[in-house]
Amino acid sequence: MADKNKYREKFPEKDPDGSNIIDPESHKFIKVWQGPQHPGITGNMSLELILQGDEVMHCKTHVGYLHRGFEKLMERRRFIQCFPLVCRIAVPEPDFNEYCLAATLEELAGIKVPEAAKWMRTLILEMSRLTSFLMWLGGQSGAFGLGVAGQWTNYVRDLMLDRFEEISGGRIYRMHIPPGGVRGLTPDGFRARMEETLQAVEAAMKDVDRTLFDNAVFKRRTVGLGYIPPEMVDAYGVTGPNARAAGVPKDVRRDHPYLKYPELDFDVITGNDSDVYTRTDLRRKEILLSVDLIRQIMAKMPGSGEYMAKLPNVLHWKIPRGETYIRAECTRGEYGFYTVTDGSGYPRRINVRGPSYTHAVALMEKLAVDCNIADVAGLMSSLHTYPPEIER
Amino acid sequence: MRLKDVLSPFLAWKHLFSPPVPVRKPLEREAAPRYRGFHQNDMEECIGCGTCEEICQNAAIDMVPVEGIGTRDGDSGLRPRIDYGRCCWCALCVDICTTGSLTMSNEYQWIDTDPDVFRFVPGAEAKPWDERKKGYRKPEHYELYNTERIPMEEVPPEARSKSFIEIVKGYSKAQALREADRCVECGICIATCPAHMGIPEYIKAVREDDMEQALRVLYETNPLPEVCGRICTHKCETVCSMQYKGDPISIRWLKRYIADQVPAERYEEILGADAVEQSNKKVAVIGAGPGGLSAAYYLARLGYRVNVFEERAEPGGMMRYGIPEYRLPYDQLDKDIGYIRSLGVKMTFNTRVGKDITLEQLHKDYDAVFAATGLHQGRSTRVDGADHPMVFQAIDILRDVTEGKKIEVAEKIVVIGGGNVAMDIARTLARLQNQKYGKVQLILTSLESEDIMPADLEEIVESREENVVIEPSWGPGSIKIEDGKIKGLNVIRCLSVFDEDGRFNPKFDQNETNFFEADQVIEAIGQGMDIEYMTKKFEDRLEMTPRNRVKVDIFGQSSLPWLFLGGDITGGTDAITAIADGHRAAKGIDKFLNK
Amino acid sequence: MMKALIERLEQKFRISEVVRQRNDELFMTAAKEEAVSLVTYLKEYEGFTHLVLLTAVDWLEAGRFQLTYLLNNNAVKADAGIRVYLDRERPEMESIHHLWKQAATYQRELKEMFGIGFPGSPRVDEPFILEGWRDIPPYRRDFDTKKYSEKTYFPRPGRKTYDPEEYMKKQLYPEE
Repeated sequence: MADKNKYREKFPEKDPDGSNIIDPESHKFIKVWQGPQHPGITGNMSLELILQGDEVMHCKTHVGYLHRGFEKLMERRRFIQCFPLVCRIAVPEPDFNEYCLAATLEELAGIKVPEAAKWMRTLILEMSRLTSFLMWLGGQSGAFGLGVAGQWTNYVRDLMLDRFEEISGGRIYRMHIPPGGVRGLTPDGFRARMEETLQAVEAAMKDVDRTLFDNAVFKRRTVGLGYIPPEMVDAYGVTGPNARAAGVPKDVRRDHPYLKYPELDFDVITGNDSDVYTRTDLRRKEILLSVDLIRQIMAKMPGSGEYMAKLPNVLHWKIPRGETYIRAECTRGEYGFYTVTDGSGYPRRINVRGPSYTHAVALMEKLAVDCNIADVAGLMSSLHTYPPEIER
Repeated sequence: MRLKDVLSPFLAWKHLFSPPVPVRKPLEREAAPRYRGFHQNDMEECIGCGTCEEICQNAAIDMVPVEGIGTRDGDSGLRPRIDYGRCCWCALCVDICTTGSLTMSNEYQWIDTDPDVFRFVPGAEAKPWDERKKGYRKPEHYELYNTERIPMEEVPPEARSKSFIEIVKGYSKAQALREADRCVECGICIATCPAHMGIPEYIKAVREDDMEQALRVLYETNPLPEVCGRICTHKCETVCSMQYKGDPISIRWLKRYIADQVPAERYEEILGADAVEQSNKKVAVIGAGPGGLSAAYYLARLGYRVNVFEERAEPGGMMRYGIPEYRLPYDQLDKDIGYIRSLGVKMTFNTRVGKDITLEQLHKDYDAVFAATGLHQGRSTRVDGADHPMVFQAIDILRDVTEGKKIEVAEKIVVIGGGNVAMDIARTLARLQNQKYGKVQLILTSLESEDIMPADLEEIVESREENVVIEPSWGPGSIKIEDGKIKGLNVIRCLSVFDEDGRFNPKFDQNETNFFEADQVIEAIGQGMDIEYMTKKFEDRLEMTPRNRVKVDIFGQSSLPWLFLGGDITGGTDAITAIADGHRAAKGIDKFLNK
Repeated sequence: MMKALIERLEQKFRISEVVRQRNDELFMTAAKEEAVSLVTYLKEYEGFTHLVLLTAVDWLEAGRFQLTYLLNNNAVKADAGIRVYLDRERPEMESIHHLWKQAATYQRELKEMFGIGFPGSPRVDEPFILEGWRDIPPYRRDFDTKKYSEKTYFPRPGRKTYDPEEYMKKQLYPEE
């Protein structure tokens, strides 16, 4: 990184706040759009990059390709009708939406969720984290030219989707966490099949370990790339693995324990170097932690019992006026629903806090500068962003 | 750079000869047993309540008529058609389905070039997955509404069996709100209610705790809500879509709750005296029972001058002289009637048409006449001994009780009959026996076996609680009389009551007999009508039906255009039918007089 | 902990409608002109260094917008939500982009979706999600999404539904 500064000292000139001054009339810059269809980005968004040579001088994030106005749509839906809608806000990891919506509504309506349902929810959320990480890993390694790792992880992710299908009847949109509890416990023989799947994940991760993490090309390209200093964490609203890789031990599962996480044994994983390699490695460890947590959950969760609270008739369910915020630790960081009710049968306002909102815009626009254009896709992936949760 | 980092990635080559992982025949992969695939709908079970359409947040479901499925009581005849261009497979429609007819198969593959085929009525348009056993079903113990009825508190048998205090206590506000919450507002009940009351609408008003609106809805179709809230035969509840997973909504108790909440003084302010143009036309109503009162109310609302002629000293008909006080207290009846009278309805008591005044006279003095004189003549079994003075007609005793006359109450009584009137007299006499002798010795015997007894189940249960002995499936043989005193009733086993065509044609086994000891026998096997006051004079011009009833059209209009009939004399069986008849007759009379 | 915090805040600021939603979550309403100082104070002196979100609620009937600043203190694991009410006719608020970099994004979105102005906030007038939007800000309650979609898109022909109640009347007792 240091040698770059030699020739960047004079050109381009900088604003008082340190950002590059771009004069398009100078003909010294070119503008390149990365996205919205770029494979290096998980989902549709685009980066408007201004380059000098192959160096990024300026970056602007553009979103809006996936905007469906979910927050607004919910305002004309009954509370129960919001449930099948929210999963679409983060496609690879939809269950956090269902959980956060359900949890805010339960808190505001004063509904107590049965124990077995809490265990099921913990299981589903942790499985969801695992599948999301496995899919992301494909994107991350692919962005640096290693396609095979993604094929392995997506295969085992698919096995995990089979498990989801068994539980809920849906592979992608599980829709298993309605307000009040869950829609069912695990089917017969699930434990053994789950263990088999977890072993397949572990086996795949061993291969990934050697091909991706012990890989000269990957190391060379990612060590030192996209450094996030710890002081940027709060200043840019950074959460999740991106913050933990900077040594900031933020993990909602530990900081604001929810569901059955207090009964599970785990340490918050942190890193030191806060570059793309560290973040990737941290997520690798998270995958293994998830495997471990799922095993713990399977061992502790009851096989039977009440799993749904008694709801009032959902067709005219009204919730007293109130507001609350409930968060959970998804793969990208802090996921939360801020729900405001006004005593009617419809939500007054639901605001979804997706971690990508800060990571893909303010943080990305900052980190991309001075980066090589060839590294932008990998840098983007290393922030692990899902555009639908930015624009909702 | 470590050498390991250069060599290690080549490890990927170890998979060079691994078999490919994808499923070999993906189109043949069967989905999980809980898979949320294409819908299935059991056409027989589905009642077309439309709750699936109501919950669908994608507006993917239409309720449409389907060939071969007719509209009838408890079934709208509509079936859900699903637009798979909109469906998101969330299965909330399956979860909320009131009958459980709607499910999902685990089929997820269907390829076609015509987008319109992906919009169809599951179950009605045959699909390969219709019989599939696997697929999403609503999980057990997972409900999106409360399937259980909020129980109604009653005065316990010990406390009620000696007096005529009202048994049913009525819902508290909290109970009523919870019960009203259960309603899914499908509206299936409306068609079955003889008066087509706006049931979902008034239940909604209960839910929103808007008693004024609730009362307004009640009076749109029924001016006797305190009465119907207590003694209605609640046919609506027999078709309620909630009954399939649990209990039907307590529609009757909710109606009572509304009427009980609003004090009589507030009726006028809430219901308002609509600014109706007062008409100079006059209508005579014969009989102040539910039919007559209903007609009088709606006629008065339409601006007519109404005079009700009543044989007895007080209004109410069977509601007062038939139904015992423990089911319908007189003050509640008076509350309903009081409001009707407050609209200016005139009532002439102790006047029997045909005796004290003739129908011709009414025809002369009034522009139209509505007759709802009911069934007040008890039928006799005509068995040997039935003419004994200690053999009574249930209906006569019930009337005497209301009028406060002295009642003959023996120590041992047998009641013949299995309907609600039999229950009423049995329970009334049981109370009087209790008062007089401190114990109950009363046998109720019916032709019908218990499962087809026409009385309401709760009547049977409560009778037993009050120590009435019920002996079903016996036909009366003869009344045993010794020394001029009744000794008891000989009965023979009744094998069946109806023949294959469903006609009344009882079959007996003469070899199986029984004897019920008694000093007094009550006959409660039905009543007949006395309409000589009209048939005698107008015989030639009054068209009759083959079953010897006066022929009327839907508005109760007879072949004499000025004469309208309704209630039990035109085939009604209960108060609510009479109320509906009265309402329709009021509309018919209005039409007739405004021609 | 929360109690002491409320007391300290009450001494320094005009706060009202304090609601302890949970042991670790607190909501309060701040006067508009004090809100940014309150947020700054919470960030600089009370350890609420993490801006969880900034969003708005439209109380159309009351003619005002509610801005909610949700701050998190990761040391004591607690959240504080600051409500600020803005006049719906002239909705404008001081920017907090100098406190958190990502605040500019939130403010840009609020400008676009609710029409709330944040003078001085970087790129606040640039479209965020919508491009070429000419209607009223769409997250306002008076923007009717259904009407908009009916106007903008076209339904597939052939849809028709019947209401069970009306259909039964037509079939079973049409004369009445």
